[in-house]
Amino acid sequence: MILRAEGIHKRFDTRTVLRDATIEIAPGGITLLLGANGSGKTTLANILATLLSPDRGRITVDGEPLARRRAAARRSIGFASHRPLLYLGLTPLENLSFFGGLAGVPTPSRRAMELLEMLGMAEFARAPVERFSRGMLQRIVLARALMTDPKVLLLDEPYTGLDEEGVAVVNDVLRAARERGAGSLVITHEPERVRALASRVLRVHGGRVEEAA
Amino acid sequence: MRTILAVALKDLRLHARDVRFLATLALFSASLVLILSVAFGPIFSDPAREASATLWAALFFAGVLGLTRTLDLEGESGGGEALRLTGADPYALYLGKTIANLVLIAADFLLLLPIASVFFDVGSLDVVPGLLGVAALGLVGYAAWGTLFAALARGLRARELLLSVVLFPTLVPLWIGAVKLTHALWGDGSVDPVRDWIKVLAVMDVLGLALAAFLYELIQEATE
Repeated sequence: MILRAEGIHKRFDTRTVLRDATIEIAPGGITLLLGANGSGKTTLANILATLLSPDRGRITVDGEPLARRRAAARRSIGFASHRPLLYLGLTPLENLSFFGGLAGVPTPSRRAMELLEMLGMAEFARAPVERFSRGMLQRIVLARALMTDPKVLLLDEPYTGLDEEGVAVVNDVLRAARERGAGSLVITHEPERVRALASRVLRVHGGRVEEAA
Repeated sequence: MRTILAVALKDLRLHARDVRFLATLALFSASLVLILSVAFGPIFSDPAREASATLWAALFFAGVLGLTRTLDLEGESGGGEALRLTGADPYALYLGKTIANLVLIAADFLLLLPIASVFFDVGSLDVVPGLLGVAALGLVGYAAWGTLFAALARGLRARELLLSVVLFPTLVPLWIGAVKLTHALWGDGSVDPVRDWIKVLAVMDVLGLALAAFLYELIQEATE
């Protein structure tokens, strides 16, 4: 699946965050997206994840306008934002099973347990999410993004709050995504943690996406 | 159907785990009935009328607490956005949330009904089935419109205010109908003299649910 955003403009009140930004997430690639605070990286991620509509511009999935297949596209995109996008009053197992079930995962509880084991969180499967540390929460966020075996993985600051073991887990997830042909976009302020895996390094500057030096 | 049930159960599970919220809801609505019964009493001029108006006012005000809590659950950590990301049918999400809100307010009704009966000294067990029917009609409409307006208010700073300001005027026909039917049951033991209000309640229910079928997805996608 090729997810492409072309000529994206986004303005909040009087501030234009993105102007004519273009980016493509191709299968099997790991794209690293850098940029200063407030440069528009997260806005672009939210637009790619279909949570935010651009003021102008075109988003396509395999060449077709996103609007035509929004529901299917959403199930093919795994998004780990720096907001948890979880219900804090539920356990990881309940959260993952719930979201997986809605997204059409055939056996969501089993899939949830697989992911929790893979991410080293199986022992906390039945503990309330609200008691988790930032690093633990980050792993559950990652698990939610992986529930549907997405063809595109969008990770916004995935290393925040993670220890070395956690960083290795995220990078393993990225490697596994690459091996099964999924395209990944990683937004980070810690590029040294993932640079070796990246097939492409981009930067958001002045509202546009450009190749990083 | 699975989506509707999953969303309703999720919301109810979250409500059930929040004992402080449930206690606040129960105490607030019960206090309202008690305070108004003291204000109208001790000698009531028309206890059936005063009791029915008090019961439904308490339910409508307490219902806003429930709707606001639902809003908070979706907003506090982005759960509502994660719901959108599942690609699930927006109307099924709406119906799931409406059912959860309905169950919550219906539980409050079951709590307030005996309190209002005792403190206003009205009613008999014979009219309980009729009252449950009126409650079903009134509360389905309340949940349908309330869930829709709660989605509209999501993301706004003054959402509780907006919710009350928009919701209460819209629900005036529902409130009047529910009060008149409850009054008739408690006063005369039959809804026959005000039977037409059943139609008003039914129309409000259908209208709320139908409007949401057209608007909910737009509202959901516009909440950014």
